[in-house]
Amino acid sequence: MCRVIYNPKYSMYNLGELHPFSPRRVEMLIELLKEWNVYKEPIEPNAINPVELEAIHDSKYIDAIEQVSSGAVLNGIDIFGLGNSDNPISLGMAEGARYQVGGTVLGAKLLIENKAKKVLQLGGGFHHAHHNLASGFCLYNDLSMAITEMVNHGWHVAYLDIDVHHGDGVQEMFYSNGNVMTISIHESGEYLFPGKGWLHELGQGSGRSLKLNIPLEPFSEGDSYFEVLEKVVKPALSWFKPDALVVQAGADAHFADPLADNLLTTHDYEKIFRQIIDYADKSCNGKVLFTLGGGYSSTATPRIWALLYLILNNLEMPEYLPENWKNHWEQILGKTIPNTLHDKLPAYEIIPRRDEILKINKDVIRRLMDSVSQYWI
Amino acid sequence: MLIREVMHLNPISISPETSLSDTYNLMNDNNIRHLPIIKNDLLVGIVSDRDVRLATSKFAKTSYEPGTMISEIMSHPVETTRPSEPIEVAIQTMRQFKIGCLPVLDDYKLVGIVTVANLLDAMLLMTGVHYPSGRLDVRLKDRAGEIAKLTKLIADRNINIHSILSYPDANGKLRVVFRVSTMEIRPLAKAICNADFEVLWPIQASCVE
Repeated sequence: MCRVIYNPKYSMYNLGELHPFSPRRVEMLIELLKEWNVYKEPIEPNAINPVELEAIHDSKYIDAIEQVSSGAVLNGIDIFGLGNSDNPISLGMAEGARYQVGGTVLGAKLLIENKAKKVLQLGGGFHHAHHNLASGFCLYNDLSMAITEMVNHGWHVAYLDIDVHHGDGVQEMFYSNGNVMTISIHESGEYLFPGKGWLHELGQGSGRSLKLNIPLEPFSEGDSYFEVLEKVVKPALSWFKPDALVVQAGADAHFADPLADNLLTTHDYEKIFRQIIDYADKSCNGKVLFTLGGGYSSTATPRIWALLYLILNNLEMPEYLPENWKNHWEQILGKTIPNTLHDKLPAYEIIPRRDEILKINKDVIRRLMDSVSQYWI
Repeated sequence: MLIREVMHLNPISISPETSLSDTYNLMNDNNIRHLPIIKNDLLVGIVSDRDVRLATSKFAKTSYEPGTMISEIMSHPVETTRPSEPIEVAIQTMRQFKIGCLPVLDDYKLVGIVTVANLLDAMLLMTGVHYPSGRLDVRLKDRAGEIAKLTKLIADRNINIHSILSYPDANGKLRVVFRVSTMEIRPLAKAICNADFEVLWPIQASCVE
């Protein structure tokens, strides 16, 4: 059974009307599910306490965020990555972020206490938050908090990040931790934020060979993702044998995403989600916690996460989007929303460099496996 | 960037009387490739792991015994640098003499050593990759005010620039790579493009929704 976690207070994490990381994306998703009559009452998490965040964040950093979030004017907060266009200051953002961290941590607890096998947290995924640095729309690292909860319970945890940006914050926090495997599939840092996630970032000390990065060429398509799942993720999980899998299910590798270049369709996402769940069933007895993450196309992101919701709950897939929902949101967004759950194919023009991109990605997979195979014995 | 910012402090050194085998073991134990040789507080020579291996090789014209003193095979006089020298000068010295390190002298005293690895680290630091950021690659006319116009566009959007790296491009133009603290590099690139700058990355995709 899949448990769903959500609290309307997540929407307090609102960085402004024009900011891409908009609470509207999840509100659209939930209204869509309600319109279809498939939305079940979620478990409402409490906000995590600021003191608890000290497990992974600097206390001065937490203090600065909490203060500016309640209206205080502080000098020198730029060293914490606060107050710029990516991470502007908005009232209530700290509380909103703490509700979302509370949700992801609750997800970890449900798995630990065996109250659920599959959990979908309809928020979180703040993988760019560092120990004392806000970055890439993220303040508090909910994923690292949830993983820490599991590790403290004695678990081995695998983290899989399919957001189009490298999961730098999570990787950094567990870089020399032998209990945590992190796998990030992203558009290469040669081109995209945060500029990290290279093949040679393999972990340190007992974490060596447990940090895997698959930097894909810009304009990579579904085929490259499927190959990564089959040739890297599958053997990695079956070797590491985690007690649970945590997945950051960012939706920004979609072709319509305005912030990045990769070209997944909703059909590709469906296949990827099913594959990941299958791996979880085989490698860790089905224990998996999904969070949301990036995803900045307002017309694609809710459809991708709706797919995830339907798959995790073993529900039938409605082909058409409800007229009511579509009309309502088209008015608000001023954009046309496709009338089907899935993208119409072909979804985009053929990419001229297609063969070259495939070749480079295959080579990336080979190089990574050559590097780690000497450790995986 | 100056040598003092990138050099190794207090390097291990040896005396001219040190044997070849002791020198070799010292390098192995410390995982290093160069040893300065000091006599009466003055630098009198330098030896690399290659010098030691060649001196004892069966392929060498004269093959030395492991107990030979290092002064027999060391290189001297030694090319050196000083803490206040800019790294670009040191790099040119190393390239010209085809050597892998320079001892750093301050008033004749050995205070540090700089190797190819230090200079590669320095180069990496200059690219700005150590901070979460996106990459903006532009080709500019090489004339007054171009960078100022461009950086103002970035500043007006409240985006911080972590590093600026530039190098000469074809046709007398200037290639400039910025690392900027934003996930929204594409809207930024579009604005820069609209202001008539030539943006090389990110390129605009031809995707339909």
